[in-house]
Amino acid sequence: MSDVMIQADSLSKEFGQVRALDKINFEVRKGEVVGFLGPNGAGKSTTMRILTCFISPTGGRAKVHGFDVFDEPLEVRKRLGYLPQRAPLYQDMGVWEYLEFAAQIRGIDASAFRTRLKKVVEVCGLAQVLGKPIGELSHGYRQRVGLGQALIHDPPILILDEPTADLDPNEKAELLRYIKEIGKDRTILLSTHNLNEVEEACARAIIVSKGRVVADGNLDVIRSRGGSLRYTVAIDEVSAAPGKTPPRADEVQAALQGLPGAQRVAEKPSDETVHRFELVSAQDDDLRATVFRLAVDKGWTLLELQRDAQSLDSVFRDLTRGDEKLDRGASWKESNVDDSGAKSEAREEAN
Amino acid sequence: MSPMMTIAKREFRSYFDSPVAYVVICLSFLGLGLMFFQFDGGFWEEDRASMVNLFKYIPPGLAMLVVPVVTMGLIAEEKRSGTLEMLITLPVKDSDVMLGKYFGALGLVLVLLLSTLIYPIAMFWKPWMLGSLDWGPVQSAYLGLILFSAAAVSIGLLVSSLTDSQAVSFFVTFFILLLAWYIGRSADWMGGTLGEVLRYISFETRMSGFMRGLVDTRDIVYFLSIAVVCLTFAFRKLESRKWA
Repeated sequence: MSDVMIQADSLSKEFGQVRALDKINFEVRKGEVVGFLGPNGAGKSTTMRILTCFISPTGGRAKVHGFDVFDEPLEVRKRLGYLPQRAPLYQDMGVWEYLEFAAQIRGIDASAFRTRLKKVVEVCGLAQVLGKPIGELSHGYRQRVGLGQALIHDPPILILDEPTADLDPNEKAELLRYIKEIGKDRTILLSTHNLNEVEEACARAIIVSKGRVVADGNLDVIRSRGGSLRYTVAIDEVSAAPGKTPPRADEVQAALQGLPGAQRVAEKPSDETVHRFELVSAQDDDLRATVFRLAVDKGWTLLELQRDAQSLDSVFRDLTRGDEKLDRGASWKESNVDDSGAKSEAREEAN
Repeated sequence: MSPMMTIAKREFRSYFDSPVAYVVICLSFLGLGLMFFQFDGGFWEEDRASMVNLFKYIPPGLAMLVVPVVTMGLIAEEKRSGTLEMLITLPVKDSDVMLGKYFGALGLVLVLLLSTLIYPIAMFWKPWMLGSLDWGPVQSAYLGLILFSAAAVSIGLLVSSLTDSQAVSFFVTFFILLLAWYIGRSADWMGGTLGEVLRYISFETRMSGFMRGLVDTRDIVYFLSIAVVCLTFAFRKLESRKWA
């Protein structure tokens, strides 16, 4: 058998009139930890539900561990560990009870279960909550129980749908650590819309947007595909060089816009003392020197000049731009869709 | 243990993990006791060694309270909370899920039903011996009640699989079972062929033989077919998620 563990071959899925997936193609090989990225509604969960045989594709084929998801769902599921979004677990069951239930359904006998349980408790950090009812656990712990459930049969392949959503930063970091640990000897497909997580845990990313794969490759390759660079420029609003007056916001904006190589300039929120702008240039231009000289020429005080360190984030935004037009409510769209500066700002804050 | 049995066991146990089982069992017994001994003169007034009164109250009680309560959450709640996705993506067949849930719920109903055996046993055998009871009708009545429960639970399961609200599931099941029980009485004022048909298909008519000690194959087949048909539809409904 080849080492292709997950194979999606022009997968399509339509929900009534809505095309959720549009001929998606990708492969995940043995031992890879792949980040499956996309905005909400891009088709991540739909793809995962097809791969776990919860729903059937309208067109195309998918194979997991060499088994067709349509023809041999039981064989596929035996080899999969799956954690659906928000880890839906039976609230009235205890953690131990629940893991035992999952193991029994998978036909694991009592002694094998004990061995596996020990391992899962260790890897997922469940020792303290083993006797508690799931309903009493924090969201982070529930997520871990969900992960434990997915690992109880020691599967070669794991599919995790937004495992870090709704977790606080500490829980997130910890869960990612678990995933990295688990990923050493397993194939993992992990969906998220948080890019930092991908950088943390995955070597490769597949970016989907509007039901299509828009980028697929290891992180460096994707990063270089971005085609643009972002800078944050802050100019002092109160003081300037001797004999010069501090600039107004529109002066700064016009000057930045006038720089050779500048593609887009958008004002970012700031306090009373600085003008802060986001400047976008082409990938192969470096505008830092030009911005610096501009400030010197005009006698402005340059307080901040930074090239965007999270360029994967901007790649993601560039690749999935316009998705929100599709997803969000129409009235909202009308009033805000042109205001992309403010919107990306908001999203940056959210991340 | 097969996946189906594992699911059935979990379902059965979950009633006892929550207050559902205790509330249903306690209140049912209280209600049944009151009806049997006090309502309308009750057992003592009748002054006969007969369990007919008991069997008069059990089926409507089962139909209108116990079965709707026990079955309302079976699928509806799993859909609402998302646990259905978790359950189905385990290596189980859709039919295992449905049958497991069915037998889990039926198990609780049967536990409740069979514990009413305490009435004839305590009153006509040990510790009290209030008279000599004809055990034949008691046996056939319990057979009838088991079949009736099997059909009623399958109806509840089907309704539960069609909605994701427990309240809707409860009321619809309640209404269907109420109708199925009493619809035969409309024959009195409706008359004609339709009246006859309604009388024939009503659960009350189909149960009356069992109550009198008469085991008719047609009645057995009737209740079993309802169970099979409802389970099949519920299974199809579960499968249809794939194509939604």
